[in-house]
Amino acid sequence: MSRRLLIVLTATLIARTTFATTQPSPRDSASILAMIDRAPEGARVLVPPGQYSGHLHIGKTVSLDGGGLVTIDGGADGTVVEISAPGVTFSGFTVRGSGTRVEREPAGIRATAPGVTIEDCVLEDVLFGIDLKGAANSRVQRNTISGKDLEPGRRGDGIRLWWSPDCTVQDNRVSGSRDMVFWYSENLTVRRNEVTHSRYGLHFMYSHSTTLTGNVLRYNSVGIYLMYSNNITLTGNTLISNRGSSGYGIGLKDCDNIVLQSNALLANRVGAYIDNSPSSVGSTGIVRDNFIAYNEIGILLTPNTHDNVISGNGFIENEEQAGVHGRGDLTLNRFSHQGRGNYWSDYAGFDQDADGIGDLEYRAASLFESLLAREPSLRLLVHSPAQQAIEFTARALPEMRPDPKFIDPSPLMKPPSVEVTALLSSSPRGMALSAAGLLLAGAGALSLFGRSPRLPHPAAIAGRESR
Amino acid sequence: MSAIATKPAEILRSPSFAQATLAFARRELRDALVSRWFLLYTIGFAFLAVATSFMSLAGSGSLGFAGFGRTAAGLLNLVMLVVPLMAMTAGATSVAGERERGTLIYLLAQPISPRELLLGKFLGLAVALSASVCIGFGLSAAVLAWRAGGTGVASFLMLVALTCVLATVMLSVGLLISVCTRKAGVAIGVAVFTWLGFVFLSDLGLMAGTIVFKLRVQELFTLAMINPLQAFKMSVVTQLNASLDVLGPAGAYASRQFGAALPWMLLGVLLAWGAVCLSLAAVIISRRSPA
Amino acid sequence: MITVMNVSKRFGRVAAVDDISFEIQPGQALALWGSNGAGKTTLIRCLLGVLRFDGSIHVNDANVRKRGKLARSHIGYVPQELSFHEDTRVAGALSFFAGLRRSDLRRCTQLLDQVGLGGQDRKRLRDLSGGMKQRLALAVAMLSDPPVIVLDEPTSNLDSEGRSEVVRALKVLKDEGKTILFASHRADEVMALAARVLVLDAGRLKRDTTPAEMWSGADQVRTMRLCLADASEAAAAQILRDAGHAVNLNGRGLCVNVAQDQKASPFRDLARAQIVVRDFELLEDYPQPEQGS
Repeated sequence: MSRRLLIVLTATLIARTTFATTQPSPRDSASILAMIDRAPEGARVLVPPGQYSGHLHIGKTVSLDGGGLVTIDGGADGTVVEISAPGVTFSGFTVRGSGTRVEREPAGIRATAPGVTIEDCVLEDVLFGIDLKGAANSRVQRNTISGKDLEPGRRGDGIRLWWSPDCTVQDNRVSGSRDMVFWYSENLTVRRNEVTHSRYGLHFMYSHSTTLTGNVLRYNSVGIYLMYSNNITLTGNTLISNRGSSGYGIGLKDCDNIVLQSNALLANRVGAYIDNSPSSVGSTGIVRDNFIAYNEIGILLTPNTHDNVISGNGFIENEEQAGVHGRGDLTLNRFSHQGRGNYWSDYAGFDQDADGIGDLEYRAASLFESLLAREPSLRLLVHSPAQQAIEFTARALPEMRPDPKFIDPSPLMKPPSVEVTALLSSSPRGMALSAAGLLLAGAGALSLFGRSPRLPHPAAIAGRESR
Repeated sequence: MSAIATKPAEILRSPSFAQATLAFARRELRDALVSRWFLLYTIGFAFLAVATSFMSLAGSGSLGFAGFGRTAAGLLNLVMLVVPLMAMTAGATSVAGERERGTLIYLLAQPISPRELLLGKFLGLAVALSASVCIGFGLSAAVLAWRAGGTGVASFLMLVALTCVLATVMLSVGLLISVCTRKAGVAIGVAVFTWLGFVFLSDLGLMAGTIVFKLRVQELFTLAMINPLQAFKMSVVTQLNASLDVLGPAGAYASRQFGAALPWMLLGVLLAWGAVCLSLAAVIISRRSPA
Repeated sequence: MITVMNVSKRFGRVAAVDDISFEIQPGQALALWGSNGAGKTTLIRCLLGVLRFDGSIHVNDANVRKRGKLARSHIGYVPQELSFHEDTRVAGALSFFAGLRRSDLRRCTQLLDQVGLGGQDRKRLRDLSGGMKQRLALAVAMLSDPPVIVLDEPTSNLDSEGRSEVVRALKVLKDEGKTILFASHRADEVMALAARVLVLDAGRLKRDTTPAEMWSGADQVRTMRLCLADASEAAAAQILRDAGHAVNLNGRGLCVNVAQDQKASPFRDLARAQIVVRDFELLEDYPQPEQGS
């Protein structure tokens, strides 16, 4: 009965939606092309609202405006919109239905000329989202991109820059794609983008001299991954719950002169992962004033990594505050700069002279962690009282204490304050309700049976029986 | 002879299985309420839970992030340490205590079966322990609501539910110990030692075994999972993180290998412990002398 | 009403009950007689089905081994001493057993009145005297009005006042036609209540007789209460025990059983140990045959 009702309802719904969207029936994208052809060079072309099907190739420098009411559907075949003329502006379109064959790299929008602006577009059901190839000096902004519902290995990149230096990529929102990736592209401005549920939120390959600011990366396998890219500054980025198989908030591989400053790295598997960076002689890595909290490992360095200056950060309640990826220690890096170290939530020292710096050094020596370094599979037993027992033993018996992985000579007494833009906060109502509910349940169960019985008064019985 | 002597058998009253069981459950609950151990456990657990919540929230500093996720780790540790001890000692003293005081034989001389007595005690104590757990967590939730907002309500409630399951399972273990011993003191001793085994010794043994024998991840996982406390912990972790990847290579192996079946498998291990121990206890109490 | 066939119960290598058979007719009152360790308590526990045993016992046609719950529903049991949670109130304890016996709370009130505990229902068990406790146990046993009452030395921990209260209550039950089986080592009780006595010794059934036959008067035993001049009663009791007397030290003085024609022997034994007896008193009691003390 109800099933039948459902079918009827669904049928009605489908009929209505198709009625609404197919009336008027989609026009051919060629009609847009005709408008472009009619327009003079550099003109602004306002495309009439509606549905268009078929591919669109923009080969003339125009400013094409869909006003947010135009949808172009590629019919699940190839690249939907191609821009081959320099200086094109493409804004306010919904682009959907690219092909799916990853080896052909079909995209929602592909630009192959410099100075292009792509803004305020919505891209849905596309394999690659926006693909800039040799499109220097371009702007990609305020676009919303969601990838195809494919397994991660077969997805395309949400936004890709290939040999496209001096571009600005900002305020885009990407979800369910592979990476937002930058190849061989220097001097970029990448800010305020939000990438979720993708593989690498922001991925730099051989792309130097860029500043990444205010990006929010959540629920990706890795938040930001920089590889073989130098002179990059990351500030004010928020990386939350990036915990795929590698699961780094920020990963650095063979990068020189990186500055990580004032980022919030929260609840990732590894807050920051540094693999052989800096790699060249004479360059340094700076990790400063970041808020690194609630990760399985706050900061993880490969054993050969050296010359990082890690200071002013707040390491808060990471299961392992700072770790070595493999066996070894972190003593080739400095955990203090100009007399200021880091805040460690597990620091047990004190600050008698009240200068904000702990009077005792912070020694990162944990027996369980050194066991983990030896036998990573033992992490299975983390969170268990046995782990505590081991740490306790090590504390009680100095001969059991492992050598410290590193020493912070001047630990801070207070964590840095960091502006975090995307916090998980919600009203306490649910929790308050659970509190009340649990207390009531507990007390209720007890009081239900807790009263000891009273026998009826003999007079009452006698009275009843005499009647 | 008089009418009473020739009374036909069917008029004579003996309680049904459910009636007898419920009567014992109710009595157990009532006894728990007025007993010192229950009060002590409830106050102790509540205090520790609230203190843990406060402490783990103190770390979140100015951010107000944290919410439940990290508090969970602290509470998880606390639960694994305290709840099995509570449940096992409560279970261990119950039957052995009655035997020692001589009340067991008087109870069994009533028209009930030993299994009804055992099951009744089990139910009553399970409710009492769960109530104790709920009160402790309820206070802790109040702290969280006040200091951290409402993130992770579902995870929190799941932790509470799983903790009640853990308490019940460990109670069965305690009852098994109880039916095998004559004196409450001995039963508590055995329970504490078993607790030590579950909480520390088995894990330490696993650590040593992994390092010495180079256990493979699947072996480590299987061995760890047999311990009800580890099964409980992994259940909680799967509820909090939707996978066991947090627990390193062995956890990742389990997530990959068993996928969606993993939480059920872990719960199954827990429940199997409870069911096996309770059934064994039922068999033993029927066979052993009550005095 | 009760049929016991070839019942044996061994604890390890000791046979606590060794191949005992007997039958009790409805309405009959039967006493189990024997010293401590003779097997009375074990036999009663077998009868209740709380111990596993060899042989067969039927209570009101219910096989105790196979249908223990049904068999127990025909039996009201009074232990040597009511052992229940001491913190429980009388009402709580009684209503708990009423739940198990499927009686209602009105019956509880009536029974409390009947055993003389009316109005005591808010008292805690630990505040009851021994006699009150045993009467409460009696009330519990009678909750479902079972045809059989089984008592395991119900008065052994009581003073004479408490004892007579319990005996009086049992007489009422006997007159109501209950089948009564009780273990005792007090001749007065046996003579007051039982029509039949089974004498147990080392787990075996020695005699199946009547109280009249058992105490036919030849070698009567009297109980004598001694008042000592200054020595401690405990020391004196030990000396008397060593000399082979049956001694009872129950807080109301030192009582010793002596044969009718040997009443001076305790004085002699005590005098040898320089203990002076100031006074003595012959108790008006039923004769008590020799037994291990």
